[in-house]
Amino acid sequence: MSEFDVIVVGAGPAGSAAAIRLASAKANVLLIDRADPPGSKNVSGGVLWGDSLGQVIPDWEKSNMLERYIEAKGVTFLTKDSKIALDFRSTKFGEVRSGYTVLRTKFDAWLAKKAKDAGAMVVSGVTVDKLAMEGNKVTGVIQNDEVVTADTVILAEGANSRIAIDSGLKKKSDDRHMAISVKEVIKLPEKTITERFNLTNAKRGYASEYVLGFLEGGVKAGGFLYTNRESISIGAVISMEDLRKNNQTYSYDIIEQFKEHPFIAPLLADGRVEEYSAHLVPEAGLSVDSIYGDGYMIAGDAAGLTFSNGLVLQGMNYAIVSGIGAADSYLATKGSTSPERFELYRDSLKKTFVLKDMNTFKGSDKVTWSETIHNTVPAMAEEIMLNIFSENGEPKKHLSKIVVESALKNKQRRKDMIVDMYRMMRRL
Amino acid sequence: MTKIEDRLSLLNYKIDRSYEHITVNHDICAVCPDHFCTFACPAKCYTLIDGQLNFKYEDCVECGTCDIACSHGSVLWTNTKGGHGVKYKYG
Repeated sequence: MSEFDVIVVGAGPAGSAAAIRLASAKANVLLIDRADPPGSKNVSGGVLWGDSLGQVIPDWEKSNMLERYIEAKGVTFLTKDSKIALDFRSTKFGEVRSGYTVLRTKFDAWLAKKAKDAGAMVVSGVTVDKLAMEGNKVTGVIQNDEVVTADTVILAEGANSRIAIDSGLKKKSDDRHMAISVKEVIKLPEKTITERFNLTNAKRGYASEYVLGFLEGGVKAGGFLYTNRESISIGAVISMEDLRKNNQTYSYDIIEQFKEHPFIAPLLADGRVEEYSAHLVPEAGLSVDSIYGDGYMIAGDAAGLTFSNGLVLQGMNYAIVSGIGAADSYLATKGSTSPERFELYRDSLKKTFVLKDMNTFKGSDKVTWSETIHNTVPAMAEEIMLNIFSENGEPKKHLSKIVVESALKNKQRRKDMIVDMYRMMRRL
Repeated sequence: MTKIEDRLSLLNYKIDRSYEHITVNHDICAVCPDHFCTFACPAKCYTLIDGQLNFKYEDCVECGTCDIACSHGSVLWTNTKGGHGVKYKYG
């Protein structure tokens, strides 16, 4: 007889959602986080999109752990001198769902508390050294040579998943599957943020993803800027592959280049940097051969369940849905000793957006990290806009002519452009 | 540009004096052709001093970047223990 029904490793959105679901169904759950308080090593951008959390905390939107509800969503290209932006605002974001900005240390501690309230045992400041195994079967966790047994282990240890790697459940990651993200939280008065971003009120927020097409040395990186109640979360997501090729730009300088851009700096003016952080961002789909095995399931970032197509950057909602899926799969197969019982986990996630999106957007990283998106598109867009929106007293040209001339100048062959367009249409 | 040292000084750490959660193999680093770790690590834990790699675990924010960045097998990465290491206020 195991000491616990389920041990959940990691108190992030995946782990806590799983623990809440399990404890609510009267399962005997242990939730372990290596940070103390739980969640104080967790980092993300971060916007929590959708309302997956409602599946385990029905009144979650009443929580004061949420910063601002996104009413304005941007997609922005930056060149050295210009900003080309889509700034989508809609009162319909009241009816159709967008997301809330959150600050994870506070938010994740609250989630872990919800797990405790539901009846889970929550232990923080304790590091699981490795998994207890009998052959290929996971039978519990080991900490300080002491074994704690469980019928099932849910691994939700995040992007830097040491335990899964050390236990042979996952291969070490590589340049294509991990990007480096650095972030700063910049303090500003609530009123200043509301005014600066033209927001309806202090409960409404702005979120934008950026293509940083101006970085020194041509390193490819994306950016993000999210408004919290009294701070701004700003960060850069850097291609590991590209930074390695470059081998002369420091990851921690890239965010500073972003902050100093002529059209970003005014948004941050008079703000005080309160925190600096860094985190790995799983890219390019699933990072494990299998999200389950005998006695275990892997959820959230640890399985590579994140989404990015350049327009949006999501992870927490995938984490929550996978955590709940793992919990439900345990509950539905309780008592089974079949090594394949958690096939159900994979099959149930295949019916949700989590694994459907992984499949639909397979290979999208080849577009989002392409030369076209990071260099050609911003350069051409700048040139075309300058041509259309400036007045130099010359006879005006048709738009099609402007585009073709710009393409020629940027050494874009018609064939390459068609191939790129086709890829974008198919993969994004 | 805010210096990385100033940004790191904003962070809270509970430093574990008895356990270095990351270790490097200096024999490998001595002949490393790229020292990509020095560019990749967001916390500037890896620096070159007179051409020699210097590593300090105390400033580590535990992101895991160096483990992937080092393609020469020098970095041995483990989790911090007992709630030690970085402790974010915002995350």
